[in-house]
Amino acid sequence: MKAITREALTTWLDGLTGRYTLIAPRLVEGELLYRSVTASAEIVLEFRRTVLSPKTFFLPDTQVVLEVEKRGTETTLAEPEVVKEQVIIGVRPCDARGLRALDALLLDRPPADAYYAERREKTTLIGLACPRLWEDCFCTSLGGAPDDASDVDLMFYEGRTGYWLSVVTEKGAALVEGLRTEETEQALPASDISGERVPVLAPDGWSALFDDAYWQRLADRCLSCHACTYVCPTCRCFDVRDDTTAAGPGYAHIQRLRAWDSCMAAAYRRIAGGHNPRPSKAQRLRNRYYCKFCYSPIDFGAVACVGCGRCIAVCPVAIDITEMLADIQYPISST
Amino acid sequence: MSDDIEEGIRVRARELLSLGEVGCVVGYERSPKGRIRPAFVYDAGDVHRLVWDQTCHHNLMVYLRERVAPSRTNEAAPRTAVVARPCDVRALNVLIHEGQVIREQVFVIGVACPGMLDGEGVAEHCQRCKERTPVFYDALVGRAPKVDVLDETWADVAGLEAMSPAERLAFWTREFDRCIRCYACRQACPGCYCFECLVEQVDPSWVSIAHKVPEKAFFHVMRAYHLAGRCVECHACDQACPMHIPLSLLNRKIAKEVKALFGYVAGGDPEIPPPLATFRKDEELPL
Repeated sequence: MKAITREALTTWLDGLTGRYTLIAPRLVEGELLYRSVTASAEIVLEFRRTVLSPKTFFLPDTQVVLEVEKRGTETTLAEPEVVKEQVIIGVRPCDARGLRALDALLLDRPPADAYYAERREKTTLIGLACPRLWEDCFCTSLGGAPDDASDVDLMFYEGRTGYWLSVVTEKGAALVEGLRTEETEQALPASDISGERVPVLAPDGWSALFDDAYWQRLADRCLSCHACTYVCPTCRCFDVRDDTTAAGPGYAHIQRLRAWDSCMAAAYRRIAGGHNPRPSKAQRLRNRYYCKFCYSPIDFGAVACVGCGRCIAVCPVAIDITEMLADIQYPISST
Repeated sequence: MSDDIEEGIRVRARELLSLGEVGCVVGYERSPKGRIRPAFVYDAGDVHRLVWDQTCHHNLMVYLRERVAPSRTNEAAPRTAVVARPCDVRALNVLIHEGQVIREQVFVIGVACPGMLDGEGVAEHCQRCKERTPVFYDALVGRAPKVDVLDETWADVAGLEAMSPAERLAFWTREFDRCIRCYACRQACPGCYCFECLVEQVDPSWVSIAHKVPEKAFFHVMRAYHLAGRCVECHACDQACPMHIPLSLLNRKIAKEVKALFGYVAGGDPEIPPPLATFRKDEELPL
């Protein structure tokens, strides 16, 4: 096991900023957000949970995927700029695990999403283990753990004077080459995995509950905002739109944008002609949960929830996904 | 004091539900983790779920339009009872004036409100609120608490006004930069009930789907303008924002202008229609 002092880590991170786009938790107007940093001093590594996961660095909230310029009869197409190699430090194990859900849709089955694949390829993930489960966390109920290193390239574990360090992948090994670490015989302090285990219904159990009155009652308080989907490390829906950004006689500039979209939005599912198969908020809220625990495992082989607790923490009306998972053990239709 | 209100709400809710006066009571409850949230009680046997204290910050009027809007009541929908603080009733007033809610379909359980807590003490906007009891109600629970009302100095708005346009732009750019376009502010706002929000309209598409500052600023500024003379300063937007953007500051600036121009406080008097929804042939504005 390698160990690194805080001072050595600082020096190393400052060195990385020259070679990579370094992304880390940084305080922005009082909110802790993953942002690119230019110096290690901006980085906050002592935290519980950031408001957003780092998914925007793989599936950006806004992305230009194509630019078209028309001058007279001449049309020029331009592809988006190439992404620089990026390193994200301070990634929680649950967020890293969340990338599995994005991979399943955008990478694992051909054709891969070229923009996502490029970012995934060019990113090195430095994990930061949680010493324990925080308020609202339930990663251990979904196969994760606060110190699970399966989905990162390098893993840091916080110690008293510095960090323990474990190299997980070749990418991770390449990154720490030349890093001054000390070998230590001491065993890694294990994270505390105590905390309530949430019962998770198996994918094939959900179809029997589809028409249960529970969803209507649960959605009574739902405001149909997009907060839960945008803070979620596994929600991966997007919209694509062409915008004319400039136009004049014989000239037009068009951008094709891809941006996050949310299944909580009333118009999300609306189709040509105006029909909406999910007009009510209860149908939409139910769909979000079915997507995570029923459709995703059946279609892609894994539950699309990592128990990060963000949707619970941000919901303005305290809708709690763990409460739902507990409630549906005793459906209304069976009582 | 809160306990009296809580018990008063339960008693009234039990009565209304067991007599079949209403189909649902919209109030507050605590989640299993102890978080305050809107509650929907359909059965007299469930009224023990209802709670009340100074953390009940949701404006429950947002739920009325989906229950008792004129378009919803053709099939003789049951009435709905709702727990309402003074600011909530101001919002209800606006909704009734705008034809969004049928007054007779709502049973207002008014609450004598000591103000909501914000950290250590009562929130500043609640300290400014002049109403301890709602301007109307069908039943009142609790007794009007004695509270020293803060004078309206518009000090918060003065801070904005003191900035140069460039400084203001920089201030709001900084604030809106972290907005995630989740629309929680809009969804939590009783005044925002458009069937389709301008920023989400597709044909024509007025605003890009980009999560960038220009789109976010456009959304927030547009929303603030649409709430001119209608915002009741309940601060539900601020409470809902996951990024803690001081959204109500925009509304406050406009509320100040509306007060100066029309002497009007949104929803403050059930008899006075909102100025921006009123046309008088002879009106002259000191513009």
